[in-house]
Amino acid sequence: MKLNKLAIVMTMLLPGISQAAEINGQALNQNGQPLAKAEIEIESLNVSVTADDNGYFSLPSVNAGEYVLHIHAPGYAHLHETIEVSDNSSEQLAFRLERSPIEVIDVIAAPMHMSIMESASPVNVLGGETLRRQQAATLGDTLEKLPGVQSNFHGNVASTPIIRGLSGPRVLIAQNGLDVSDVSRVGPDHSVASEASTSQQIEVLRGPATLFYGSGAIGGVVNVVDGRVPSDNDTRGEWLLETDSVNNQKLGSFNITTGAGDLGVYADGYWRESDDYDTPVAPDVDEPDAARSVENSAEESNGFTVGASYLLDDGYVGIAVEQFNREYGIPGHTHGHEESSDDEHDHEHTEAEEEQVFADLEQTKVQLLGELSVNSNWLSSISFRAGYTDYEHAEIEEGVVGTLFENTTSEVRIELMHTPLADWQGGLSLHYKKSEVAAQGEEAFTPPSDAEMVALALMEERHFGDFLVQLGARVERVTLDAPEVLLPQLSAHDHDEAAEEDHDHDHDHEAESSVTRVFNVAQEFTPVSLSAGVVWDFTPGYNAAISVSRAQRAPSASELLSFGPHIGTSTYEVGALFALSGNEDSALSLSSSAIDLETSNNIDLTLRKISGDVGFVFNAFYNQVDNYYYQVNTGLFAESGHDHGDEEESEEHDHSDELPVYLFRAADAILHGFEAQVAWQVTDEFKAQFFSDYVRARLKDGGDLPRTPPLRVGTQLSYQTESLSAHLDITHYAKQDRIDASETVTDGYTLVDAFVAYDFNVMSQDMSVYLKGTNLTDEEARVHTSFLKDIAPRPGRSVGVGLRGYF
Amino acid sequence: MNTQTKLTFLAAAISSVLLTGCGDAETTIVELPPIEEEHDHDEGEEHNHDEYEIDSAGRLSVTDADSNALAIFDLDDNSLLDTFSLTHSGSALMHSADYRFAVVTSRANDLVEFIDGGLWREDHVEHLHDYEEAPAYSDFTLAGSRPTHVDGHNSQLAVFYDGDADSGIPASVQVVTDTDIAAETAEVNTLTFNVNMHGVAKPVDDMLIASVRRDDSETTSANPILPDSVGIYHRHDGDYEQEQLFAGECPDLHGAALNDEHVVFGCSDGVLVLHAHDEEYESLKVDNIDELNGMRIGTVYAHHDVETFIGIASQHGGGSAVLTAIDPELGEMEAIDWEPETNAHPVSYGFSFDGEHFLILDDLGYLSVLSAHEHDDHAHWELEERLDISDADLSLMPEGGAFSMTIAQNAAVVYVADPIAQHVLVINLESGETTGDIELDFVPSAVTWLGIAEAH
Repeated sequence: MKLNKLAIVMTMLLPGISQAAEINGQALNQNGQPLAKAEIEIESLNVSVTADDNGYFSLPSVNAGEYVLHIHAPGYAHLHETIEVSDNSSEQLAFRLERSPIEVIDVIAAPMHMSIMESASPVNVLGGETLRRQQAATLGDTLEKLPGVQSNFHGNVASTPIIRGLSGPRVLIAQNGLDVSDVSRVGPDHSVASEASTSQQIEVLRGPATLFYGSGAIGGVVNVVDGRVPSDNDTRGEWLLETDSVNNQKLGSFNITTGAGDLGVYADGYWRESDDYDTPVAPDVDEPDAARSVENSAEESNGFTVGASYLLDDGYVGIAVEQFNREYGIPGHTHGHEESSDDEHDHEHTEAEEEQVFADLEQTKVQLLGELSVNSNWLSSISFRAGYTDYEHAEIEEGVVGTLFENTTSEVRIELMHTPLADWQGGLSLHYKKSEVAAQGEEAFTPPSDAEMVALALMEERHFGDFLVQLGARVERVTLDAPEVLLPQLSAHDHDEAAEEDHDHDHDHEAESSVTRVFNVAQEFTPVSLSAGVVWDFTPGYNAAISVSRAQRAPSASELLSFGPHIGTSTYEVGALFALSGNEDSALSLSSSAIDLETSNNIDLTLRKISGDVGFVFNAFYNQVDNYYYQVNTGLFAESGHDHGDEEESEEHDHSDELPVYLFRAADAILHGFEAQVAWQVTDEFKAQFFSDYVRARLKDGGDLPRTPPLRVGTQLSYQTESLSAHLDITHYAKQDRIDASETVTDGYTLVDAFVAYDFNVMSQDMSVYLKGTNLTDEEARVHTSFLKDIAPRPGRSVGVGLRGYF
Repeated sequence: MNTQTKLTFLAAAISSVLLTGCGDAETTIVELPPIEEEHDHDEGEEHNHDEYEIDSAGRLSVTDADSNALAIFDLDDNSLLDTFSLTHSGSALMHSADYRFAVVTSRANDLVEFIDGGLWREDHVEHLHDYEEAPAYSDFTLAGSRPTHVDGHNSQLAVFYDGDADSGIPASVQVVTDTDIAAETAEVNTLTFNVNMHGVAKPVDDMLIASVRRDDSETTSANPILPDSVGIYHRHDGDYEQEQLFAGECPDLHGAALNDEHVVFGCSDGVLVLHAHDEEYESLKVDNIDELNGMRIGTVYAHHDVETFIGIASQHGGGSAVLTAIDPELGEMEAIDWEPETNAHPVSYGFSFDGEHFLILDDLGYLSVLSAHEHDDHAHWELEERLDISDADLSLMPEGGAFSMTIAQNAAVVYVADPIAQHVLVINLESGETTGDIELDFVPSAVTWLGIAEAH
C-alpha cells in the first residue's frame, strides 16, 4: 500500500515488541520561517503539543511504528504527515505549512476529519477573530456571512440560521454537540437559547448531517462550541465590552479557563441590553410616515456558565452548569391586527390597541462531557456527552403570561472509537434523547408531547492512496407520544364564499354545543440515514469531493399535531395529522393518508484549492426531498381566539381577529444550488475574499417554497498588520422573485460593513480596541426569509466601539 | 486481516442496516371521549377558552378554636394543603371579595391578616385566566382600631374599623381588592370618620355607602355608639368624599346588605332602603312588622340574583330568630315561617351560590334549606327541606364552640364544621346528601370557602 505524505493513513500498531522513540521537530511556514504556536497532534494516540515561539516542539516518546501527524496553525493549510518511527531512535523533523487564505478550523470532536478543506461534505467553522467580529445578539444573524447560511432575521430579537434554504425542524442547533433544547425550531419569534459572545467556535454542517446529530439535522447542523468543560487547565481568557449606536446596545462578556493540579475550572458570563433599533425608513411598509424605529425590539439578556473538570493522563471528565436568561420584545406580535393581501374585505386596523408582547426566556443547562483514550486492542478512545436542560419561555402580554412554552430534554451520546481496523478509522455512536415539550395558553398550538429517540450510528473513514473515503450509517427509533391531541370543531370559512352568501355566518353560531375530538396519538418512526463520500487529492494543493447521502427525518410534533393560532407566523396552523373534510361544521378532520418519513436524497460536489496565495471552495448540491412537510394555505380563515364576545353583536363583518388556516402536508421538493468562496492573499497584509451562494427551492410538481433566501454575492477585503487590522465587507442580496402564492417579491439590497481594530499590550495583557460600522449606506433592507419582512427591515447605519482583552 | 475482507464485511453491515426497517413509520391513533362544550351566548366570553380555566371544587380554610392555627384544605380531594400560624388566636374568619384570600380579623389586636388560598381568576380581556398555586401567607396586613365588619361586594372588600372611644380613635373604612392584596399595595383607599362607631360600609364601584354617626346631641339612636345615618361617599385619589347624607333615617343602624339594585340597612324602627337613581341615591323606609314581636332587624342578607333581601331579627343571647323577606322595590316586609325545631337557635345563615336557596344552620345541628316560590307576583320563601347534619351528643359541644358553615360559590355545596365530631361535612344542596367528610385533628371554630366563584 502506498504511503502518501499529505494523507491520513492509519496503521495497526504492533503491540508489545517495540521500544520507545522520541519525535522532535520544528514547524515552518512556506518561506522557511519558524511558525510559533503551531499545534502538532498524533491522532491515533490522542496526543497533542504546541510549538514554542521558534516553532520547536517535542512529542512524548512513542513506540516504534508508523504515525500520522496533524500539524495546523491559524492561517495555514492543515498538514497531515506520515512518519515512520524506529526503535530507540530520536527523530528530528521539519514540517513546512502552506499558507491558506481561507481560514481552516477543525470541527471539534467529530468522529471524522471535518473542516472546510478536508471533508467530503461541506463544513464551515466560525471561530477566533472572525467570530468576535461577526457575533450578533441572535444566532442566525451571527452566522449569516457564511456561504450557504442566511438568517431569518426577526426584528433583531430572534433569528435562526437557514442552511441551504432549510430551517426550522430541519436544522439542528447544538451546544457542545448536544441539542440546545429550546423551542426555537417551532416559531420564528422564539429565540435560540445559545450565546455567541461567550462561545469559542460555531460549526455549521451544510446539508444532511443526520449521521452525527440525528434526524433533526436533515438540513444541517449549527453547533455552538465553548470550553465549558475544560480539557486542560492552562490559564487563559478573554473579555469584551462593546456598544452600538443603532439600538444603543451595550454588551459585556468574558470567559476564563484555569485550574491547578488535576482540576480544570471554567467560567463565562455575558450581559447585553439594547433598546428598540432604528431603521433607515419607517419599518411598516403600510405606514411610510411612522417613526423610523421598530417598536418593541428591545432586548435584555444575561447568562453565566461554570464548569469544572478532572484531568486525567489520557482524558478528562467534567460537568458544567449554565443559566441563560433573555427578555425580548416581539415586534409585530400583535393581536387583532392581522391582514391578508388576498382578502377583499376591509380588515380593520386598530393601531391604538396594538399590544406589546415580550418573551421571557429562561434555561438551565447541565452538561457532562468527557473523553478518555483507551489502551485496548479494540478501542482507542471513548467520548461521552450527557445533557439535561430545563427550558421555559413565557410570552407576556399586558403584564400577564399569555403562552408558556416548556421543554425538558435529557440526552446522552457515547462515541466509541476503535483502533484502526484494516486501515479504517472510525467508531460507533450511541445516542439517546428524550424531550418533553409543552405549551399552555393562547399560542399553544401544539399539544404536549414526549419525543424519545434511540440511535446507533457507524462512521468510518480510510485513505486509499489519493482518495479519502468516508462512510456512515445511522438507524434511529423515534417515538412521539401525544396523549391529548385536540381536534376542535373549527368553523373555518372562506372569505369569498362568505361574501357570496351575503355574509351569512350562521354556521358560526348555530351550534348550541361544539365537540372537540380528542385523540391519543402514538407514533413510531425508524429513520435510516446513509452517507458515502470521497475526497480526491488529484493534484497537490487541490482536492475534489463528492458526497452522497440519503437521510430520513421523523416529522416533528408541531408539523403533525398542531391545531391553533400561531401568532409568530400570523397563521392558524394545522398539523399533517389532519386534512380538510369538506364539511362546513367542522372544516378539518383526521387525515386518511399515512404519516411518512421525510427523506432527503442529497448529492454534494466540492472543488477546493487548499493552499497557496489563492484558495477557493466551490460547492454544488442537489437535494431531492421526498415527503417534504410544508404548509399550504387552505384559503380558509379561523378565529385567532384573541378577540371575541363582540362577535355576536357585530353586524358588520369584521375579520380583524381571523387568521388564514395553513395546513401541513407532505409533497416532494427539490432544492439545489451552490456556494462559492474564493480568497486571495494579495500581499502579506492584504487579502481579498469573494463569496456567493444560491438556492432554488421548489416543489417537484411545480411551485416555489416560501421564504427562500435570495442569491447573494459578497466581497470581504481585509488588511492586517502586527497591530492594525481593517475589514470591509460588501454583500449584495439579490431580488427574490421566485415566490410562493402567499408572498410578495422582495427587492435586492447591498449592505456595507467595516471594521477597524488596533491591538496593543497593557501590563502584559493583549488588548484590542475596535470600531465597527454596519449598514454604512443606511440601506433599506427587507429580508425575504423573515416573517416580519413588511414591518421590520434590518437596522440602519450603526457605529459601534469595543474593547477586548486576552490573557 | 485482509483489507478486502474487511471492506466486504463493512459493506455487508451497511447494507443489512439498509434493509432492516428502512424508513418505517407507524402511527397509532386512539380516539378518546370528546370534550363537549356548551355554547352559551349570553356568556360568550367563556367559549373556546377552557384551556385557561381550572375546574376545581375550591379550597377550605378552617381556624382552630384552641390555637392560632389556620388550615387550608384542597376540596378536590379533601386533603390538607398547608397550615399557617396566625399572629393571634381567637380571630374572626372571612373571605376576600373574590374568594382568593382568607381574611383573618383580630378585633382585639387591631389587625387584619390575609392567607392566599392559591386559587384565583384573572380577566385577561380576551379570556378568563385561572391560576392554581399553593396556599401562602400574605405579607400584606391591614391595621386599624377594632376591625369588626368585613364585607365584600363586586370585587371590593370593605373593612370597617369601629375605632375606640377611650383612646379617642375614630372609626374608619379601608377598601381593598384581591389584586391589591396580592400586589401588597401601599396605597389603600381609606375613609376616616371623625368619631368612633359600630358601623358598616358597602363598596359599590368607586362609591362607598357607609353608616354615619352624628353628634350624640342629634342622634336618633337609643344606643349612641350605633350610627343613625347613611352617607354616600365618592372616591377621589384614594380618599372618600361625602356626596349625600341620609341624616337620622336609620336609628340604631346595624346590619346592611346590597344587591345590584338596592342597599338595605337594619334600623330599630324598620329597614332603610337606598336605591340609585340618576347617580343619586333615594331612600325608602320599610317599617317593622308585627311578627317581629318588638325585635328589630339587625342582620340583612342579599344575593345579586335575588330581588328579595332577608332580614334577621333575633334576641341578644341567642333567642329565637324571626326571618323576614324584604321587597325593596315594593317597600314590603313579610315574615318567613321557617318552621324551626323547638329550641333551635340559628348560628349561621346564607344564600346558596346561585341564590336558589337560603340556608339556616342552627345549634341543634339542622340545616334548613329555604327556597322561593312566586305567588301573586311576590316571592315567598318557604322551608324546602331540613337536613340533620349531626347526630352527636350536643352536650359535648366544647365551651364557646358552635356549628359553622360556609357556602361554595361555584356549586350548590355547603360545608358545615362540627366541633364535636371534629370534621367538616360536604353537603350537596341539590341531592340533600352528605358527599364528603373532611376529618380534622383540631376543634374548628370557623370555616370559609375559597376559590374561583362562578361568574355572574
